[in-house]
Amino acid sequence: MKQMSKTSELIAKPEVMAGEIKQSRELFRILFHRSPIGTYIIQNGHFRLVNRQLAYILGYEEDELIGRPSLGFVLAEDRDAVRENAVRMLEGGCSLGYEFRIVTKQAKIKWVMETVAPVHYQRKRATLGSLIDVTERKQVEERLKQITGEMQRSNTELEQFAYVISHDLQEPLRMVSSYTQLLAKRYSNKLDSDADEFIAYAVDGAKRMQTLLHGLLEYSRVGTRGKPFSLVNCEHIVEQAMANLKIAIEESGASVSYDVLPTVMGDEGQLVQLFQNLIGNAIKFRREEPPQVHISAGRRNSVVTFSVNDNGIGINPQHSQSIFEIFRRLHTREEYPGTGMGLAICKKIVERHGGHISVHSQPGQGSTFHFSVDMAGGESA
Amino acid sequence: MNSQIAERPMEILLVDDNPGDARLTAEALKDGEVENRLHTAKDGMEAIAFLRRKGRYIDAPRPDLILLDLNMPRMNGRQVLAEIKEDSALKHIPVVILTGSRDMDDIVKTYDLHANCYVTKPIDFEQFIMVMKSITDFWLTLVKLPTEEN
Repeated sequence: MKQMSKTSELIAKPEVMAGEIKQSRELFRILFHRSPIGTYIIQNGHFRLVNRQLAYILGYEEDELIGRPSLGFVLAEDRDAVRENAVRMLEGGCSLGYEFRIVTKQAKIKWVMETVAPVHYQRKRATLGSLIDVTERKQVEERLKQITGEMQRSNTELEQFAYVISHDLQEPLRMVSSYTQLLAKRYSNKLDSDADEFIAYAVDGAKRMQTLLHGLLEYSRVGTRGKPFSLVNCEHIVEQAMANLKIAIEESGASVSYDVLPTVMGDEGQLVQLFQNLIGNAIKFRREEPPQVHISAGRRNSVVTFSVNDNGIGINPQHSQSIFEIFRRLHTREEYPGTGMGLAICKKIVERHGGHISVHSQPGQGSTFHFSVDMAGGESA
Repeated sequence: MNSQIAERPMEILLVDDNPGDARLTAEALKDGEVENRLHTAKDGMEAIAFLRRKGRYIDAPRPDLILLDLNMPRMNGRQVLAEIKEDSALKHIPVVILTGSRDMDDIVKTYDLHANCYVTKPIDFEQFIMVMKSITDFWLTLVKLPTEEN
């Protein structure tokens, strides 16, 4: 009511109204001409009014632009898209700015983003446009895209490289290993004791190299030989992993339990390997008492987090990052055999599934490995 | 059905381009218990010539077992296998793929070509002896196969 009475007051006093209009015009003029955004009015496809910033972006003087067709400054191949986008925006179909390229007076190509709105100018229909220079952002985006592409390529190459190396090195290694074993078999106790010792070291070295290569091959296969993702029931996965570990579970008297586990999108074979490595480690790095392993899971939005908890020897927190590196071992081969690849493979599998893996542990107090699987962010099938 | 098995040494054709590998297989066979005569072809062309008794193989015996490597120059193991299995005179000879490859693609492809079995050579020599013994025991003494005349 108060508002209405004020309005009627304004209508009643034309001199007040004229003052208000003058103020508005002045405000518009300042806003328009001082704006750091290229601003302009187009009528019948031609510039009627432009501000300094637009002239600056296009590389012209303001008065050089007046009366010229606005589309003429758009890069020829972008013109159709600009016309289409502008029409859609003027009809209210979309409110986000669209991007295209313009050609400046100096024949430089720049990327710009524009929004348009239907207005009236001097009592005729017109288009009010605003435009900013996004060339730098575009260049950064392009560079980023290029770098990401290069990184993906080099990653794939590296994986391929590791695969080929570990695969092709097996053949000559098999020769070395087999013939040293043949020497040992046929000639032990026929040469002197030094010879026996040398042969034994050669045999052992070749066997060790074989396990390392095998680990490397398995590791590189995570990336190069992965299967497309499908829906997999994690209880089945854990059961499969346990079946594969049957002997270790029986021999150690381990008890492995799990809560209700969800269904996730993933590579079934790799998820079995993941659980198998973690449960296998829990059994391998046990204390005197029989190992107890428990698996639980929680879900938040598209991310499922699993925890594999054990009552084993635990890990000093200072190693909680490095244990996931390839060939990383915290014990001598005499204490615990292994290649130091198991957790590196786990990490790679988890990352392929869009997740993270970490460990919480104290020496002597068991360990809990946490890992996540992102139903939305993993490698698409 | 095939009583002559016990009376003559078994003829084995080994197809392998790598002399080190071929020798190793020979050594492993020596340690096995089946009496055998080992013939070696160093690639697929030689193997086919041997099987068809071409050229210097005019007097070659018909092998009781073929041990076939996959990766060889000129004519690889898959091509040899395809040729053997398409030849009615040869297709009953058991072909064991003996290779360093654990590649699942290789395994599937060779079974598609009707390999009789696929064995990955173990790195460990003792295991290799065991493998060779199992292969020869199985294919040369246990299994009944149609004779050439059939």
